[in-house]
Amino acid sequence: MAAAAAAPPPGGELQAEAFQRLYPDQYLAQFVTRGLRPDGRPLALARPTSIGLGVVSTADASALVKLGSTSVLAGVKAEVMPAPADTPDRGRLTLQVEMAPLCSADARPGRPSEAAAVLTQQLTSLLDAGGVVDGRQLCIDPGRVAWAVYVDVYVLDADGSLHDACLLAVLAALSSLQLHAVTVDDAGRVTKADSDAAAAAASSGQPGGAPAMRRLQLGCQPVSLTCGVYRGQLLIDPTAEEEPLLDATLTATLDEQGGVLGLYKAGGSATSSHERLLQCLEAAKLRGKEVRDLLWQALDAADTAALS
Amino acid sequence: MEFVSPVGLRLDGRRPQELRAMRAQLGVLASADGSALFEMGNTKVLAAVFGPKPVEQRSREDEKRAVVRCEYAMAAFSTGERRRRGKADRRATEITKAIRNTIEQTILTELLPRSQVDVYVQVLQADGGTRCACINAAFLALAAAAVPMCDMVASCAAGYLESTPLLDLNYTEDAGGGPDVAVAIHPNLGDRLVLLQQDSRLAVDTFEEVLELAVAGCRKVAEFMRQTLLEHTQGLAAQRAAGDAAAEAAGGGGGGGSDEELDADDF
Repeated sequence: MAAAAAAPPPGGELQAEAFQRLYPDQYLAQFVTRGLRPDGRPLALARPTSIGLGVVSTADASALVKLGSTSVLAGVKAEVMPAPADTPDRGRLTLQVEMAPLCSADARPGRPSEAAAVLTQQLTSLLDAGGVVDGRQLCIDPGRVAWAVYVDVYVLDADGSLHDACLLAVLAALSSLQLHAVTVDDAGRVTKADSDAAAAAASSGQPGGAPAMRRLQLGCQPVSLTCGVYRGQLLIDPTAEEEPLLDATLTATLDEQGGVLGLYKAGGSATSSHERLLQCLEAAKLRGKEVRDLLWQALDAADTAALS
Repeated sequence: MEFVSPVGLRLDGRRPQELRAMRAQLGVLASADGSALFEMGNTKVLAAVFGPKPVEQRSREDEKRAVVRCEYAMAAFSTGERRRRGKADRRATEITKAIRNTIEQTILTELLPRSQVDVYVQVLQADGGTRCACINAAFLALAAAAVPMCDMVASCAAGYLESTPLLDLNYTEDAGGGPDVAVAIHPNLGDRLVLLQQDSRLAVDTFEEVLELAVAGCRKVAEFMRQTLLEHTQGLAAQRAAGDAAAEAAGGGGGGGSDEELDADDF
């Protein structure tokens, strides 16, 4: 490799790496016309996905999602706050996506990036529109105290399809979130039930002891899939290398029944035909099933680990 | 609160001169030129290095040496109470400067004129000693990025509580109000002190005792990092020897080699 780089082969033939740098579009086209991607995937296959739960012990719930080399870490902190005056029977969920400067070579420290703000807005409206977390579940004592749930999403490695990875990390973290039982005394003082004591009470089968930890009931499980259109072909789950070359990208978010929660196509030179749209939705439906299975496995594994 | 029990054990069961368990993994982020995940007990830090590369701001370009840029950030969920830490946070600025100065002294910047090295550290989970963990993580990431350095740099803190010098304080001990001496050394250059921070009242004799303990801790950290780097390099060498066909086909990946990936098991 090093020798080859030092002495370019005769005949002026370009090295694959140099060709990729100089003509990224033609490089990708060479692959796509043969029905392949530069990373060896077929066009309609998403990258290997993994979900790790409970990776940060200072957070109340956390999830590390990997989509190929895209890595996203979501952490949830639940805090007790005075009930909001306008909605006394609801708590609040705040979501924030941060693209740490270490996530890619293009990221700059300092001001938060546009991409992070866009993702924050998209995911927040998806959670709201889908009714994923009902604010009433976050109520502790109507009119007095409620939960403030903060979901912080850190993009650690940005290698394309960030929307899908971030949404999955948020979903996984929220699915594994357990809220402490909280008691409010007459003076308005709030005490969190001790998780260890309550676990002991639960295991000894003590009657009357309310469960100390409560899982959130999620209204639905949104999963998204990003599809790119490239020279008339559909590329599922594009990488950061492919993304800037695509004619258009379309992100479809579906719930577990196959209902559409969100579609997002921002510009792009290729206009989406109706047929293309249906193709994306179909792919997103299949992908959703696959991803939800993974999530179940991860939750199961986390539960078993917690019991043992 | 009792920080040292009558039998001489600390709150987390360690002896006074014992470090917390360390874990490190290199090359965890594919997009960075070098990256490392470093853990010291419950403190987890991720560092990424981009560069050496051309200087972005032409006005900052130095024709004699490289420009080192550094940023330190804490995840909002990394501490007990969630706190939004602004980028202009004074504590973060101070730690950023401490890290930058330490690594600037370690990188052979004069070998990289007109270039820039970016070092980003992100605290994922904080339990005391983040400053030192960040320096260690940054060093490992720089080594993974093959940035030329004059020596290793290893960092560790020591404190003094209940008349006992304690090595590598955790959060509870740090909050105990005693002095905290953070040290970074170049272990192969006669334990040269690169960073020394101490900001509370401490008798000179005690200070010397605590400093000595911290330096001894640094040496242990250095030995651990040396071992990690050796294993990492051996792994890369083995991979090359095996003539990894995939890596060859992909053009060798620039020699960086992200053979190990960030995994949930790493946490």
